[in-house]
Amino acid sequence: MTNGAVAARRDRVLEVVDLQKRYGAGTLAIERISLDVCRGEFVSIVGPSGAGKTTLLKTICGLLAPTSGRVLLDDKLVTAPPPEMVLVFQDYARSLFPWLTVTANVAFPLRKKRLGAGEKASLVLEAIDAVGLTAFAGHYPWQLSGGMQQRVAIARAVAFRPEILLLDEPFASVDALTRADLEDLTLRLRAEFGITMLLVTHDIDEAVYLSDRVFVLSPPPSVIVREIAVPLSQPREQERTRSDAAFLALRNEIHRLIGQHPERTPAP
Amino acid sequence: MRGRRLLGLATIVVLLAAWELAARAGGNVYVPPPSQIAVTFVHEWFSPQFGQEAVPSIWRLLAGFVIATIVGVALGVAIGVSDALYRTLDPVLQVLRALPPTAVIPVGILLLGIGDSMKVAVIVFGAVWPILVNSVDGARSVSSERLDTARNFGFSRLETIVAVTFPSALPQIFAGLRVGLALAFIMIVISEMVGGSNGLGYAILSAQRTFSIPEMYAGIVLLAILGYGLNALFTLLERRVLAWHLGSTAVTR
Repeated sequence: MTNGAVAARRDRVLEVVDLQKRYGAGTLAIERISLDVCRGEFVSIVGPSGAGKTTLLKTICGLLAPTSGRVLLDDKLVTAPPPEMVLVFQDYARSLFPWLTVTANVAFPLRKKRLGAGEKASLVLEAIDAVGLTAFAGHYPWQLSGGMQQRVAIARAVAFRPEILLLDEPFASVDALTRADLEDLTLRLRAEFGITMLLVTHDIDEAVYLSDRVFVLSPPPSVIVREIAVPLSQPREQERTRSDAAFLALRNEIHRLIGQHPERTPAP
Repeated sequence: MRGRRLLGLATIVVLLAAWELAARAGGNVYVPPPSQIAVTFVHEWFSPQFGQEAVPSIWRLLAGFVIATIVGVALGVAIGVSDALYRTLDPVLQVLRALPPTAVIPVGILLLGIGDSMKVAVIVFGAVWPILVNSVDGARSVSSERLDTARNFGFSRLETIVAVTFPSALPQIFAGLRVGLALAFIMIVISEMVGGSNGLGYAILSAQRTFSIPEMYAGIVLLAILGYGLNALFTLLERRVLAWHLGSTAVTR
C-alpha cells in the first residue's frame, strides 16, 4: 500500500458498504453500492434519471433505512440523521418554510443547537453573507428568484455547520447562468468552511467540473459502474476548466459509460 | 377599489329603495317597509334588550366556536400525522361530517336540556367537522421535503409537528375555520329557536308568534349585521396570520 492510500484511508469521513435498498417487498432501487468520501473532498455520484440517486442520498443521510449494508460516518454506524450531515434538496420551494423570512429559515435548524443567542445570530449572519443574500435577509423565500431560494436552502445547511453537505441535484431547477453561479458558490463554501461535499446529479459536465472524484451509477437497480478521479487543476473556473482537454476527455468517458450521446441531459 | 365599494353600496341602497316602494304600494302587513324596520331596530336594539338577547347569543357562539377550533385543530393535526389514527377514524369522520348538524339538536336537548350547555354543545358539533377535516388534510399534505428537513436537523416528531406541520397546514385550517364559523352561526340561531328562553333566535321566533312583525325583521337585520361583522373580523385575522400564504400564492399566480 502506498503512503497516499494510507493517508486517504485515515482521512475517510464517510463510508458506504454494500448498501442495498428495496422499497417494501417490491422494487429494488439500489442493488449494491460501496463508496467512500474523504474529509474536504468533493465527490459526485452521476447517473441516469431514475437511478435511485435521491434514495441513495436519503439512505446515506439516515432518513431511510438500508435494506442491507451500512453507512459509517467517522467509523460510527448511521441509524438516524446525524447532525454532521445535512441534505440539500432539489426542490427548494418544497423544502424552505414560506412562513419564515430568509433569516428565520436559516436560523431554523439552530433551534436544535445548544448555543447562546448571540452565537446563533452570528452563525446566521455569516451563512447569509456567504451566499450573498445579506440585502434580502428580511424577505420571504417566495419573494426571491429560484436561484436565490436555493441559496437560502444552502445557507440554512451551512449555518448548521455540518461536516458533510449532501446535495441532491440542487441546481437542476434553475437556469443555466444561475446554475454556474451556484456551482461556483458551492466551491467557495467548501473552501471557506471546509465542508465535505457529496453531490448527486444527472449532469455529467457539472459532476466533472465540481468534483475530485466521480462515481458513475448504472440504471436501476443501481450499482457503481466506475470510480473516476478528476485530476483537473484547482481552483476550477467555468470557462477555463470546461475547455480543458482533460475535462472533455473525462466527460466523454463518463458519457460512454452511461451510454448516452455527449449532449447535456435535459432536466426532468 | 373605492369605486367598486361605492358600486356595492349603491346596489344595497337601490334594493332597499325598491323594497320601500313595493312595501308601501303593496301594503302587505307581513312585509313592512325598511324605514319602519329601521325605526324599530333602533328602538329594539339600542336598549337593554341587546344585553338580554344579543349578548347571550354572541357569547354562546364564541364559546362554541373557540371550543370547536381547539378540538378540531388538535384532533385534526393528530389524525393527520398518524397513519394509524387516520385509517381508523377517517370513515367515522366522513359519516359524521355528512350528517346535517341540526339533526343532533334533539339529542342535545335530551342529554343536556335547553340551557347554555346544550346550545354550546350543538354549536361545537356543527362547527367542528369542517375544522377537523381541513386540519387532517392540511397536516397530511405537508411536503416530504419539509418533514425530512426537520428530521435531518434532529427535530423530534413532536417538535416537527409544532414547527413544521402546524404552520404548513394553517392555510387549510383557516379554510375550515371559515366554514366552521358560518355553521356555528346557523347552529346558534336554530338552537335558540328550538329550545330557548333568550337569545336572538328566540327573540325573532317569539316576535313572529306575537305578530310583532317589524320586531321580527329588526332581529333578522341584527343577525345580518353580526354575521357580517364576525366575517370581517375573521378576514382581518386571516390576513394577519396568513400574510405569507396570501403573498406566496399571489406571486405564483
